[in-house]
Amino acid sequence: MNLRKYFIRALHRLQKGPGYTYKELLVWYCDNTNTHGPKRIIKEGPKKKLIWFFLTLLFASLVFWQWGILINTYLSYNVTSSLSIGFKTMKFPAVTVCNANPFKYSEVKHLLKELDRLIEAALERILQPTPGNSSEKSLTPPLNLELWHQIPLVLIDEHDKDNPVILDIFESNQAAGGNHTSVGNKTADGNQTACSHQGSDNCTYRNFTSAAQAVTEWYILQSTSILSKVPLQERIRMGYQAEDMILACLYGAEPCNYKNFTQIYHPDHGNCYIFNWGMDEEALNSSNPGAEFGLKLILDISQQDYIPYLSSAAGARLMLHQQKSFPFLKDQGIYAMAGTETSIGVLVDELERMGYPYSDCTMNGSDVPVKNLYSQYNTSYSIQACLRSCFQNHMIETCGCGHYMFPLPEGVNYCNNEDNPGWAYCYSSLRSSIRHRQICIDSCKETCNDTQYKMTISMADWPSEASEDWIFHILSYERDMSTNVTLDRNGIIKLNIYFQEYNYRTISESAATTIVWLLSSLGGQFGFWMGGSVLCLIEFGEIIIDSLWITIINIISWCKGLKQKRARAQYPDVPPTVSELVEAHTNLGFQHEDAGTLPRDQVLPPEPGTPPPNYDSLRVQPLDILSPDSDAE
Amino acid sequence: GAMAPGKKITARIKRTLPVKGPQAPTLSELMRWYCLNTNTHGCRRIVVSRGRLRRFIWILLTLSAVGLILWQCAELLMNYYSASVSVTVQFQKLPFPAVTICNINPYKYSSMKDYLSELDKETKKALETFYGFSEGKSKVRRSADEWNSTGSNFFKQIPLLKFEDFSKTVIDLRSGQKRKIEGSVFHKDSSIVNSGDSNDIIGFQLCDANNSSECALYTFSSGVNAIQEWYKLHYMNIMAQIPLETKEKLSYSADDLLLTCFFDGLSCDKRHFTRFHHPLHGNCYTFNSGENGTVLSTSTGGSEYGLQVVLYIDEADYNPFLVTSTGAKIIVHDQNEYPFIEDIGTEIETAAATSIGMHFTRSRKLSKPYSDCTETGADIPVENLYNKSYSLQICLHSCFQKAMVDSCGCAQYAQPLPAGAEYCNYKKNPNWMYCYYRLHEKFVKEQLGCQQICKDACSFKEWALTTSIAQWPSTVSEDWMLRVLSWDKGQKINKKLNKTDLANLMVFYKDLNERFISENPANTLVILLSNFGGQLGLWMSCSVVCVIEIVEVFFIDSLSIVMRRQWQKAKKWWNGRKRDGSGKPGQAGDLERQGHDNPVCIDEDLPTFNTALHLPLPQDSPLPRTPPPNYSTLHLETAFTEQLPDTLEVGQH
Repeated sequence: MNLRKYFIRALHRLQKGPGYTYKELLVWYCDNTNTHGPKRIIKEGPKKKLIWFFLTLLFASLVFWQWGILINTYLSYNVTSSLSIGFKTMKFPAVTVCNANPFKYSEVKHLLKELDRLIEAALERILQPTPGNSSEKSLTPPLNLELWHQIPLVLIDEHDKDNPVILDIFESNQAAGGNHTSVGNKTADGNQTACSHQGSDNCTYRNFTSAAQAVTEWYILQSTSILSKVPLQERIRMGYQAEDMILACLYGAEPCNYKNFTQIYHPDHGNCYIFNWGMDEEALNSSNPGAEFGLKLILDISQQDYIPYLSSAAGARLMLHQQKSFPFLKDQGIYAMAGTETSIGVLVDELERMGYPYSDCTMNGSDVPVKNLYSQYNTSYSIQACLRSCFQNHMIETCGCGHYMFPLPEGVNYCNNEDNPGWAYCYSSLRSSIRHRQICIDSCKETCNDTQYKMTISMADWPSEASEDWIFHILSYERDMSTNVTLDRNGIIKLNIYFQEYNYRTISESAATTIVWLLSSLGGQFGFWMGGSVLCLIEFGEIIIDSLWITIINIISWCKGLKQKRARAQYPDVPPTVSELVEAHTNLGFQHEDAGTLPRDQVLPPEPGTPPPNYDSLRVQPLDILSPDSDAE
Repeated sequence: GAMAPGKKITARIKRTLPVKGPQAPTLSELMRWYCLNTNTHGCRRIVVSRGRLRRFIWILLTLSAVGLILWQCAELLMNYYSASVSVTVQFQKLPFPAVTICNINPYKYSSMKDYLSELDKETKKALETFYGFSEGKSKVRRSADEWNSTGSNFFKQIPLLKFEDFSKTVIDLRSGQKRKIEGSVFHKDSSIVNSGDSNDIIGFQLCDANNSSECALYTFSSGVNAIQEWYKLHYMNIMAQIPLETKEKLSYSADDLLLTCFFDGLSCDKRHFTRFHHPLHGNCYTFNSGENGTVLSTSTGGSEYGLQVVLYIDEADYNPFLVTSTGAKIIVHDQNEYPFIEDIGTEIETAAATSIGMHFTRSRKLSKPYSDCTETGADIPVENLYNKSYSLQICLHSCFQKAMVDSCGCAQYAQPLPAGAEYCNYKKNPNWMYCYYRLHEKFVKEQLGCQQICKDACSFKEWALTTSIAQWPSTVSEDWMLRVLSWDKGQKINKKLNKTDLANLMVFYKDLNERFISENPANTLVILLSNFGGQLGLWMSCSVVCVIEIVEVFFIDSLSIVMRRQWQKAKKWWNGRKRDGSGKPGQAGDLERQGHDNPVCIDEDLPTFNTALHLPLPQDSPLPRTPPPNYSTLHLETAFTEQLPDTLEVGQH
């Protein structure tokens, strides 16, 4: 009994309000809660009570449903984009210029001599319908057929689909060859890539419908193998030197020269020169639009010194890119034609994205599972670097050597025909393997900040006929210190690179749903349907705690009652009536009397809060108000 | 008494589920009750406040809060259909677009000789007579007389005229005669007629064949444009009469156009190209048209992995009057899109390598009600004449062609044929040119309504191109390159190719990033409701429950009070007339009811400020209270439980 009293006291102290039973608690809650519906339930008549009960239930479920939607929306991490366009002082892009031809032919001639003779002879054979056996043999020294046998060029006559006739161009029996040319039917020129172990079945033919294409590809494969053996220093020496290539340079009003360019060796294009790379010094800013404030270059590509079979297109290759990034000229580079002035208006198109979990991009590439081989250049991560590194890693894994076009990890050598006889086969099967490409695509991630340089390119003839003479004269004098004209229209290129009137277009992302958004939306929903707030939730929690209390008290009292009943049955603990309970919660001093006349069950639920009769109001009550009821009896 | 069983049942129902009236008998009571019990905040203050000023302020505040809520919610509703833009970039294997390649010259001039010799002869003569131009001097001079005598169809049809001092005197180029143009037919249109002060204005006259006084004059500042336009009109007439199969034969075959092809590191040939006949450009070839169901895709960016083709452009076989530039035209488009090569093609130079880097962007707009665009074009009342998916251009062209067929009776040559129509030529439709020019003028001035009917497509794909040119073949590789390419071309051409007959084209993805720009609804219903809730809660702590309360109190309860009042008045008046002043019991009851207090309001009230803070009630709180009687007869009902007037009447009797 003491314990129970203690608990009652404790309960009262804790809550000062709710009654002792669940029903009381509920009614009290409905009456005093700040949410709007429950109060109506207890305030109205039975019919409205029912309506309000269902309305409240409906609204509560609506609130929970919409909360679910809102939380779902929040967890989908949507973003909104904002676009801004205009002009501002920006870092001038890094400009990489290369020659389309990687090496001076005069420098590499001794290395490629054998190969060139071979291809010339092969072309003779292909183009001449009937080879004049005697005369040719006598004129040319014997060919080195070792290179040939590694990767022979063949003619494939696919006239008969099922049995294509394959002719090695240097096979001695030319009977079939004569047949083919005379027939003149659909022929395919094939480039065979031989297998590592001669005579094995592991051979593929790469088909070309065009001889020009086949010869070019064949030449590239062969020359790659030859040049890969040459040390890097030597290769750089064989390429175009900055002082020969960059004749004039002007940035805004400030003069610059070839010394302002950083040299980088690019496997496709030999020596490339990067202006404003930002590796050692601060990147230059440009605060004015227009050609007058941009970079002006005059280049010489000396077309006469091109390797004839390696690159058929002549011009400069250039690319605009971000500071400290590696120039991937094959992907993003553009050509500039000799004998023209090329003007390039630049618009910086930036995309700033939010990282995880909003989108699957990488900030600096550190979380990409591919070893970035381009990090040896101290360049930043890019998707191109990742894809190339990925390919090179696959190449090293499967072929045992690295491809000449990509950087090498430590301890691995470039492929060449002597050390790795089967590399060409291995390479071409790897290159055409869709599976390997897909692996690389899946493992590489794009960068979150994507910057593109949108270029508006226009061209004009340069120098004009009238000015040609003196321009060539001066440029020749400056470069070669000679009064003879050493330059010509086929080699000279003028470039203007400048910011457009609007030089940036930035699309930046921001989270569409933040935690603040979520809370205000949740609050809005709760408020809209039920007028509730977080405090209402706390109230609800309080009620649950209260009912737990009541449960505990009931259990204890039930146990006690059981014990007492066993001990002495004369004092059955009568449960308190509603009115007692009401008094109990307003009047602590109130002690219930053993009324006991009315069974507890018969106490009607809507009456709990009944106050004592208000005699004042009773007085004015019309006497006849209840009479219809009695009449009905 | 003896009551009917039905009545008994209704009475029982009434007792067990009593229908209660409004919470107060009069409107002011009701309002007071409402204000004290409502869940919204301001109203209670009005009733509870003491002093006029304070009450007035609270009324003002409450009203302004209501106004703010209404304003803000209206704002929210109006902004409901707004869209936000999101840009996503995805790095992935990209589908390669279709690349359509055309020779700028539509048909081989050598094979067109049969059809065009007459026209060309006359064009040359015209040039010779009026500009003193002649290529084979003697030949033309000799035939000059012959020309005038034979008379020419072409000049009769559309005379070329030369204006003197921009006056109304013109010289007919054919006859050399001066003649006056009547003022009424001089169709001077500022947008078409060049109103420069040059005295060398040349033009041609198009007349309505049925009504020769209806003429329109088209003038050009330069004879180059005039002759070309004039030639083109006749050319279209002639071409319209040639059936499609013949035209396809007259144009270039795939073998003629394509010398080499290389895609994604593998060789390709004419089987990868689909022929597509364009009325103005002859045979065009579409790479990767997706016709056999497969669309090629690239998984590596860069020039090596794109499409590389060498085109054979036979410059010598060009039509000298129709096209004046040399090269090819290409267009990059989606497989489902129609290539409008004459509108948006990129020109390719000969003796050069053109490298085209692509960047792929996909855009998607929200359709109705967010913006006025169409998803499939099915809701546009213009029949799609092209066998391709809807685009704005297709719609405009189809719309124009339809108008053309409707008003001129034949179809324009440059656009596809609608069912049952045929192309215009002046054998069958002598009037078509005049009709066409008038219609075209109307179209440009947006008088045909095509621009109003046609809508944007909601989603579109775009390939942004970066074009750059390099010299090709380089001087040192020229020799072997041309020899090998000549060999590739095969025995059909015995001569060695010239580098100006060749064009090298590279089309590739610069990167495999797909940019996807999409519009999303900025608001959803959930967010709108949340915002409503936020507004209601912020200004008045209101919710839907309050709104229902308001409806209940202000509409249902108030209405029922007013109705009851009226009913009682009517009843009283009726009774008064009937019994002629025998007491006023009804009125007394009314008075009594009005005067009494509503116990609900006073005793069992909602937590007021005082009770909420557990302050002692201001006055008559009888403490300690006695427990309520335990018998159920003394139901503490509200005073007006059984107030329905009819029951009241029964009780009084």
